[in-house]
Formats: sequence, C-alpha cells, structure tokens
Amino acid sequence: MIYAKSLLLLSATVAVVAGCATFPDAESTAQRAEQMVTEAHTLGAPALLRRTTQDESQRACSSPGGAKLTQEHSATIVKTARDSIKYPASGKLTGDWKTGAQLVADGRGQRIINGQVEKLSANGALCINCHLMDAKEVNAGNVGPALTGYGTQHGDSEAVARYTYERIYNAWAFMPCSNMPRLGASGFLTPEQIAHIVAYLIDPQSPVNK
Amino acid sequence: MNARCRIAAAAMVFAATVYPVSAQNKAADGFKAYDGLAVGRQMLAEDNPGDLWVERGQRLFNDKRGPKNTSLERCDLGQGPGVVKGVFATLPRYFADTNKVQDLESRLLTCMVELQGFKREDIVRDRFGTLDKDSELEALVSYVGAASNGLRMNVRLNHAQEREMYKAGEYAFYRRSGPLDFACVTCHGESGKRIRLQELPNMTKPEEMREVIATGWPAYRGTHSTVRTMQHRLYDCFWQMRLADLGFASDLSVAITTYLNYSANGGEIKLPGVRR
Ligand code: HEC
Ligand code: HEC
Repeated sequence: MIYAKSLLLLSATVAVVAGCATFPDAESTAQRAEQMVTEAHTLGAPALLRRTTQDESQRACSSPGGAKLTQEHSATIVKTARDSIKYPASGKLTGDWKTGAQLVADGRGQRIINGQVEKLSANGALCINCHLMDAKEVNAGNVGPALTGYGTQHGDSEAVARYTYERIYNAWAFMPCSNMPRLGASGFLTPEQIAHIVAYLIDPQSPVNK
Repeated sequence: MNARCRIAAAAMVFAATVYPVSAQNKAADGFKAYDGLAVGRQMLAEDNPGDLWVERGQRLFNDKRGPKNTSLERCDLGQGPGVVKGVFATLPRYFADTNKVQDLESRLLTCMVELQGFKREDIVRDRFGTLDKDSELEALVSYVGAASNGLRMNVRLNHAQEREMYKAGEYAFYRRSGPLDFACVTCHGESGKRIRLQELPNMTKPEEMREVIATGWPAYRGTHSTVRTMQHRLYDCFWQMRLADLGFASDLSVAITTYLNYSANGGEIKLPGVRR
C-alpha cells in the first residue's frame, strides 16, 4: 500500500516536472540559436562574418543530438558532393609527393584573429591533424583512420588516384556528413595541391608506403 | 515559479545530488574518463601557478576601484551581494536585473560596469591578458571559481530563458559551418580522439564533461603563461574552426557554456585547472 502510494507520488512528480520545465520546441530553438550565431560575430569583413552561413548539406548534417540522416537527405548530399568535384586543368591527378609531404603536415590556413585572416601564399592541408600517414610521424592525430601503407594496400593505378583525389576533394561524396572536411569543394585546397597529396599517399617512394 | 514547480524543482535537485554516486560506480567499472592532461596536472599539482591569479583576484574583488571607487561586495553573482562561494557551481543562470542568462565572465562584466563604473569596451579590450598586460577579469574569474572548490556543479534550468539557452547551446554544439565544415561535435563527439597530440574530451559524455568543466576553466595554460577562462577556450576553438572571432559574452557563448556546464552537473569543483 505504502509502495503504491509512493509510486503514485513519483508519477505525479514526473508529470509536474514535465509540465513546468518544458524546453522550447525544435523550431523556436533553431530560430533563436540562428539569431545568436548571427549576432556572435561582429569583427571583420562581411565575407568573413558570412562563414557561419550554412549551405544545404551542412544544415542537413547538423541535427542536434546527432540524429541519423534520412535516406533522402543522404542521397542529396552525395549528389551535391559528386557534382562539386573539379579536376586539375592539366588533367594530372598525381603530382609531386615531396610537395605533398609538406602540405599534409601544414595545419595553417584561413584562421581569423581580430577580424583578419592569416596571410599565407597557400593553405596547408591539415591531414596529419587527423590522420597518421607516415608511420614515423609522432605528431599525428586520430580523428580519421590511419593511412599508413595506403599505396601499398591500394596500389597506384589511375583508378586509385582518381578515387583518392575525389575522396579528398569532397569526402561527403563517399560518406555524407563525414567528419572529414570537403577540402576541395570549399576552395580550401586547390586541385593541384590535392594532386600532390594523392602522390604522397600512393607513390611507392613516399614515406607513407615505407 | 509557482508552488508546484518549486516542489518539482526540489525533486530535481535531489535527483542531481544522487546522480554522481552512480556515475562514479560506472567509472570504477572500467570506464576511462578523459584524462589527457594528467601529466601536466601531476607536474603542477603541488604548485599551481593559477593560485597567484586567485590571490590577485581576491584583492581586485575587495579593493575599492573604478570611477565609482567601490569594491565588488555588492556584486550579485547569483548567491546574493558579495557572495562568491557556490557561484561557479550554478552558473550560467538567469539574472532579473539584466533580464539575461549570464555566465561568470559576463556577470562580472555587468558588475564592473554598473557598480564600479568601468567602461564596458575597456574591460572587453583587456579581457584576455597578454605578456605586457595582465587581465583583471582572468584574475577575478580565478578567485570566484576557486571559491566553489569542493562543491559540485549544480546548474539549474528553472527559468524559461535558461532552458532556451540550454537548447540553443545544444543546437550550436551540433551546427556545422565554415570552410572546414566543423561543429563542436566533429572534434568533441567521441572518446579517445586527438588532433595531433592534443587529446579531445568527448563532450557528449557527462563523465568527461565533469572533468572538463569542474576541474577546467579558469585554467592556468602553460603555453600561454597565464590563466584563461571558458570564454577564451571557446574563442580559441572558434579560431580553429576558421570562424570569425567569437564575441565576448555573446549570447551564443553563454548558450554553449550553459549546455556544457549543465552536462557537467555532479562534477566536484577544483579550480583553477591546469592545461597545456
Ligand atoms: C578534421 C579531420 C580530418 C581531416 C583534416 C582530414 N581527414 Fe581524412 N578522414 C577523416 C575521417 C573522420 C575519415 C573517415 C570518414 C570518411 O571516410 O569520410 C576520413 C577518411 C579519409 C580517407 C578514406 C580512408 C579509407 O580508409 O577509406 C582518406 C583517403 C582521407 N581521409 C584522406 C585525407 C587527406 C589526404 C587529408 C588532407 C588533405 C585528410 N584526409 C584530412 C577526417 C579528416
Ligand atoms: C578542429 C577541432 C576542434 C573543434 C571543431 C572544436 N574544438 Fe574544442 N578543442 C580542440 C582542441 C585541439 C582542444 C585542446 C585540447 C588540449 O589542449 O589538449 C580543445 C579544447 C576544448 C575545451 C577544453 C577542454 C579541457 O578539458 O580543457 C573545450 C571546453 C572545448 N574545446 C569546447 C569546444 C566547443 C564548445 C566547440 C564548438 C563551438 C569546439 N570546442 C570545437 C579542438 C576543437
């Protein structure tokens, strides 16, 4: 009897909590949060402030709580990503692996401080921030999978070069909403830079494959 | 708040007090909490340089200062005028006088402007210390933060605006943007991840969030040779995300802190932290 009473009390409490502490719904949350995002950045040229504006794919990849994508969204993101891919004017998808080696270890580019973008002749590629590539590199991250022995494993055929190029150009063409940035599609890297990085990954002489 | 809500809130407080116990059992069950900074912490455990900021902060709090030549003893940080104990545990929270949810930094800013007569833009300009010039705010935050040592994080979402901020913070945590498509969750959504050698706490796990918030910021940052606050930590992550400077004390920054601090409820406070 006492037990039943306390159960009753418990469920009453739960009901009251639910009634009082209601959270705003998803739509008003989005509206309010978007307003906060707009107001949060005031320093710098309009183009820099606009960086927080999302494209369709980014929006679809931003579900609070990390909710799963619908099939439909997923297909649209992949298609948009595929359509974004451009190739070097020379048509060559593999460049110079030594230039690639410098790029993958360079984590600079496009950062903003006091409203000014860092001044560089070219952005770094950020790869080892997230991937182990050269097994001897101690300062590599693990947000992405290790890519050591990439070329040994996949070979250095034209098809592998193409797949690797496209994957770096726009990772979302292969895995929608991947944590890997769309480095070519956003203009962060040029097609030529990506070709150098492809060489670094697949060339048998590269430290990646030693 | 009406009477029925008050009862419910009391029940929620009770729930929050028992919560950490079961969480600690879970940790003992083999869950390895975020501990990437153990080395630095061990090295400095005996001698935390941040203590100097605490002492300086205490003086700055109690001295008569500013154009109005007053101390901060009438500053209400949420626990009544001049009270610093327990403040960190319950912030951010809603303040009726400003009709805003405020974190520790933005609330101190309000007091320094309203009570002491400092110019807002001067304090904002000097919010982050440099080698040439110490920041008063960094010292004040250290003092007020340390005054809650030994207590547990206990952020309430009783006011509608607090719940609004919490939800907006959650939304922002998952919101991807910028040239690198980053959201907070990109780097802080999984345990055991690193950017280069820097360990990334998983902020979707309360076990790790208690460590980040309750023993984190204000933190003495070895690489900066000064104490940094949560506002600075967020500013730093926005910089890494290639977004424009995060506005100091902006609603967005307070919303994110509300979301993070609430998820750290139950964590035992030990401040200032020590970080890389
Ligand atoms: C912010 C983190 C991040 C950065 C920076 C990054 N990646 Fe990735 N990368 C990932 C993640 C996460 C995955 C796994 C998900 C996926 O496949 O998209 C991945 C997957 C890959 C894959 C596919 C691996 C496989 O086993 O199929 C390749 C190849 C790759 N990255 C190459 C690169 C290169 C080259 C760069 C630099 C130009 C780079 N990544 C930069 C996070 C990153
Ligand atoms: C590109 C990666 C990246 C993104 C995106 C990112 N962070 Fe971080 N974050 C880091 C790194 C790296 C550290 C520092 C870890 C260290 O110093 O060991 C860090 C540290 C932190 C810390 C301090 C953790 C501690 O225990 O000291 C907080 C809090 C934090 N980030 C919050 C955020 C929030 C909120 C966002 C989104 C607005 C965000 N971060 C986005 C990389 C990132």
